[in-house]
Amino acid sequence: MKTPLTIVVGSGGVGKTTLAAAMAADEAGRGRDTLVMTFDPSLRLKDALGVDADPESNDIQVPYDADGELWASLLDARRTFDTLIDRYAPNDAARERILTNRFYDHLSGSLAGVLEYMASERLFEVAAYGKYDRVILDTPPTRQALDFLGAPERIVAFLESGALRIALKPWFDADGSFKATAKLGILGRNVESFFDRMVGMELLRDMAEFFQAFAPLYDGFVERALEVQEMLRSPETLFTLVSGPGEQRVADTLFFARKLTEAGHHLGPVVVNRVHPEVADAPEVSNLSDGRGLLAWLGRKDHEGVAQLRELLGGSHPLLVVPLRPDEPTDLASLAELGAMLREQLAQ
Amino acid sequence: MNLLRRLEQLELVVVTGKGGVGKSVVTAALGRMLATRGRKVLLFEVDPRENLHQLLGTEPSGGEIIKASPGLFLQHIEPRELIDDLVREKLKINMLVNRVLASPVHRHFTEGAPGLKESAVFGRALRMVEGHGPATLRRPDVVILDAPATGHGVSWLAAPQLVADVVRSGPIGHMAELISTFLADQERCGVVLVTTAEEMPVEETTELISSLRGRLDRHPEAVIANALYPAVDDGDPGDDPAERLWRDRRTINVTQLERLDAVWAGPLAEIPLLPIDPGPALVGAVARQIEAQLRSA
Repeated sequence: MKTPLTIVVGSGGVGKTTLAAAMAADEAGRGRDTLVMTFDPSLRLKDALGVDADPESNDIQVPYDADGELWASLLDARRTFDTLIDRYAPNDAARERILTNRFYDHLSGSLAGVLEYMASERLFEVAAYGKYDRVILDTPPTRQALDFLGAPERIVAFLESGALRIALKPWFDADGSFKATAKLGILGRNVESFFDRMVGMELLRDMAEFFQAFAPLYDGFVERALEVQEMLRSPETLFTLVSGPGEQRVADTLFFARKLTEAGHHLGPVVVNRVHPEVADAPEVSNLSDGRGLLAWLGRKDHEGVAQLRELLGGSHPLLVVPLRPDEPTDLASLAELGAMLREQLAQ
Repeated sequence: MNLLRRLEQLELVVVTGKGGVGKSVVTAALGRMLATRGRKVLLFEVDPRENLHQLLGTEPSGGEIIKASPGLFLQHIEPRELIDDLVREKLKINMLVNRVLASPVHRHFTEGAPGLKESAVFGRALRMVEGHGPATLRRPDVVILDAPATGHGVSWLAAPQLVADVVRSGPIGHMAELISTFLADQERCGVVLVTTAEEMPVEETTELISSLRGRLDRHPEAVIANALYPAVDDGDPGDDPAERLWRDRRTINVTQLERLDAVWAGPLAEIPLLPIDPGPALVGAVARQIEAQLRSA
């Protein structure tokens, strides 16, 4: 693996996408060719990066007057999945069979972990390609922010489990009717007759067809997933953990930090984003329309949270604090400024 | 009909919105409000990082139904376990149950099958309001679901129909059909959207409103705009940085509320940012705000 990767993780709504774009703009500004991969940018950020211009292409060069090139890509699970099938399907007939399978239609959009897996798949491709000096990945909003990292493992576990072997059995004969499955043994018969009763034959037929259509792809999948797994634990892959302000987030942030480290990943800085500034000589909040008093209260609370987090992290990871701004940065200049601020805090 | 009266009639309220907008606080506050008005309320939480109990000042649920205050109960739900329960119920014979539960096929099927987990959660809600609950709470009047912030609230609501489409026979297909009929019944089920008045949450709320309408032919009971900075007067902010930041953030709130207004003409509650630590006091204050605003909506 050649290209250093930064992976930005954290709960939904904490500002991961903006911070990833900011770090990328800063890197490009300092002469490094940088790619930022993002999932769900705001409209204004999309405009700033120009990622909506050409949905067919993967990486788009952002018009940016800097020493390094800035590239951006917008990840889309269904499209990545389709591309993957295009690449691996042995022939047009097989490809067509997968793409038109009713199950695939549901699966590619909603199967747990597909989006996350596809992201790491793309990431690996980009890293191996060696075109960029830096790659920064924004991660998708998942129920558990760490789902993303477990995705390759889950895919491997699935592919190597009995589930796949059973799914790949020729359950149906040429007419599409059900074959006796004596060879599956008692476990197979029980499980299968249970599913038959629970969900009916139609779904089973669809599923079997789906897995069989995918069969030629599996070898490549396992190999790739293992490589992605290794890449996510490599010392050149550094995680940035983003948190919202406030004491109520501290436990969550520490939980993520611990999980990342336990899973063998390398956690770099922890960023507390959108911290209300401290207000000098602030009065107690007098009433609900007292905005200045409210800001002072929020500033005090947010800084208590930061102090608590700093103490609990105990210097194991650098803690960066991003103050709440008048507005989210959405043009390249202010993104680069935010990125530079993070870098300078990190250097101290 | 009066909106509060309508909310009181519902048997299921699904609260959804983007991550970080205060969905759990609003869920707890809606529960508190309806319980105060005499309903027996059960809150369902599915986020593995439980936090409703902290907001209501109780012990963690650990999967059990916990009473938080008169008429207000909460339960943390693990969708996987609901599905395992279903297997136990349908298979009955212990040896077979254990085999199925231990089988990788079952694990991967329930993990990966689109819509199954969501359907199981709604299925449990339906069973509860129909009076099949445990002795602690036999029959709540209403279940309020703090739906996960997947960014795709509609996919939760559409899940049972998806399962019903894919699985056309057998007990799962039958249940999915029952559940999607229940969800589609606007007399029984409602949706409340939570947002902040900021760009991304409003964007997502706008998309949610239009896909609820387009895909499910439904509109939310109310939109709750949470955590608003206080209104500003026309005076000169001067050089005070706190005063200026307040004004700038308030300006964003106002702009985004206007954007919301362009797509949403229905009931809207504007909840101020309150200088209260997360906990029962905050939930009570937000409940009173929601009640007052929805009464006049």
